[in-house]
Amino acid sequence: MTDLFHAFGDVLNLYTLLWIAIGVTIGYVLGVLPGLGKATGVAVAIPLTFYLQPVAAIALLIGIAKGSAAGSAVSAILLNTPGEPSSAPTALDGYPLARQGKAQKALKMGLYASVIGDFLSTLVLICLAAPLARYALLIGPVELCAILVFSLTFIGGLSGRSLLKGLIAGAFGILFATVGMETETFIPRLTFDLLELDDGLPLVPIAIGMLAVAEMIIQAGNMRELDAETTRIVDGTKPEDRRVLLSDWKASTAPILRGTLIGSIVGILPGLGASVGSFLSYGATRRASPRPEEFGTGRIEGVAAAESADNAVVPASFVPLFALGIPGSVIAALLIPAFILHGLTPGPRMFQEQPDLVAAVYAAMICASVLLLLIGYTGQRLFAQVTRVPIRLIIPGVLFLCCIGSYMETGSVFSIYIMLAFTVLGFFAKKLDFSFVTFLIGFVIGPSLELSFRQSLQILDHRWIKLLEHPIALVFIALTVLVLVMLARGRTKSRTVTAVRDTGTTITKGGHRETS
Amino acid sequence: MRIANLVSGVILILFCLTMLVLIIPTWIEEGPDGMMSPRLVPQMMIWLILGLSVLLIASNLRTVPSDDDGTSPVSREEWLAFGKIGGVFVLALALFLSFGALPASIVLIVGALLALGERRPLVMVLMPLGLIGGAWFLFYRVLGTAIM
Repeated sequence: MTDLFHAFGDVLNLYTLLWIAIGVTIGYVLGVLPGLGKATGVAVAIPLTFYLQPVAAIALLIGIAKGSAAGSAVSAILLNTPGEPSSAPTALDGYPLARQGKAQKALKMGLYASVIGDFLSTLVLICLAAPLARYALLIGPVELCAILVFSLTFIGGLSGRSLLKGLIAGAFGILFATVGMETETFIPRLTFDLLELDDGLPLVPIAIGMLAVAEMIIQAGNMRELDAETTRIVDGTKPEDRRVLLSDWKASTAPILRGTLIGSIVGILPGLGASVGSFLSYGATRRASPRPEEFGTGRIEGVAAAESADNAVVPASFVPLFALGIPGSVIAALLIPAFILHGLTPGPRMFQEQPDLVAAVYAAMICASVLLLLIGYTGQRLFAQVTRVPIRLIIPGVLFLCCIGSYMETGSVFSIYIMLAFTVLGFFAKKLDFSFVTFLIGFVIGPSLELSFRQSLQILDHRWIKLLEHPIALVFIALTVLVLVMLARGRTKSRTVTAVRDTGTTITKGGHRETS
Repeated sequence: MRIANLVSGVILILFCLTMLVLIIPTWIEEGPDGMMSPRLVPQMMIWLILGLSVLLIASNLRTVPSDDDGTSPVSREEWLAFGKIGGVFVLALALFLSFGALPASIVLIVGALLALGERRPLVMVLMPLGLIGGAWFLFYRVLGTAIM
């Protein structure tokens, strides 16, 4: 706690606050733009942070993540087209409110719920990560290997509509992570005599290609539907339609707190993602309501429930990252290289080795929550205008920024080739429902998984019976099998049910969105 | 989606077989004696993908056929966008390799605008000017570093 107070001294200066504000603003605008979410923003911005001081750099990226999570509600409410899939339940009541001329009220409630969810979830992170990390230090390579396999299976099974495709995507992520010089023997693997591949495939161009460029191509293919929605925006004339009234607060306080709790729990569990959190929260609020049949017609608590959970997931998803070094979401996976680059290696040891920097990250997260409220409130009407910009004017700019971001990663045109190759892969992965979330997480944890697997084989002396000496590992192996069986059974029973996951968004005809 | 799943399953199996028979033996050497083979994890992943692909095909063959099985998951408009934006990237890359970053950037932005249906001359001029100028200002003035 003392470290945290000292950390505010490092963060509360014009330089850092300015970069947090820039991050929140960029994130908010990106969130408003359909298809461009926090992961895209962070992936493109990582090379930009090379030239910033560590705290400012990390704060900028966190600002983008937080701003984007809140901004995605704007297009959900105004266009019925969520900026990110996790804001889809916001559109269920937000869009009807906007059609009734209460867009300003819905936007404001969405912002307040986002900030409260985000702030409280940040406190959960601060309270939980360090104590959990103490237990994580007791974990050896065998246990770590089992935990990583469990996490990837869990994520693979939950982040798409097909368990098999999720697992295939995860396996591909690990396969691509093996490209480059092998760390033990220094034998090049799958480098095809290209010197650029000796260090392995760079994450940033891969993420930019799969997340941003591929999504822009899909948006380009569906831009007519999106542009048509912008013509239907209406604004109310009555003052009470533009303000959040006391009665709105009374109706929304419990949904916001419930949403924050659900979002925080979902965020801590790897792989579930913000979409699951916001849908669960929306469903729970509807069930708790005395008039559930009115949901979907413009109930303000529907917006509050969805947005609070959506934003609570982001800070909570850092709990497994900080405590165990395991990314539970794409955003956490993308932040690993950024953290390492700026001297903070996510994992249990960071609390002992870099307590000041960890505290500064926490302080920056709290400041980002406050700035999110200020920037969101003062600039909301302006940000809402972004939804009126035709998508054909946005895509060229995004493509240009993607090229700059990829190029800067290695300073070579080879990064652009990598970006384009993974654009093609990402495009087909999205359209064929192979979870690129699992792919990217598999790619990021691949080296740790391989290392811990090799160490495990040596520790176990290639005798599987020795696993009995590692009960924690056995528990996670059993959990992996259990998850596989349960997911396989669940999928067979509910094959017709379309689940919404964080695997990307696609606008379909009629302005509705579906995951792909 | 059923047919798309079957086709992707077959493609994945062919990919895995190529990797196991040709690519991995050619491009990953066996490690020295007494050390774990560098081929171990790549081969394990390929075998895993192979097994899962077989399961993907089997599970889709068992699924009852429906009317939308033959519908392509990629719409005609998306194919067109893929081709157009891909073409713009190829052109921009060729220009980058021959003439440098500035003409490539201009072609990337203007080409994408044209490919997406924008025809207003003012936008064609202001967009590249604003974006390239903005990037220059951010990196060279604000951050004090060079992109290239």
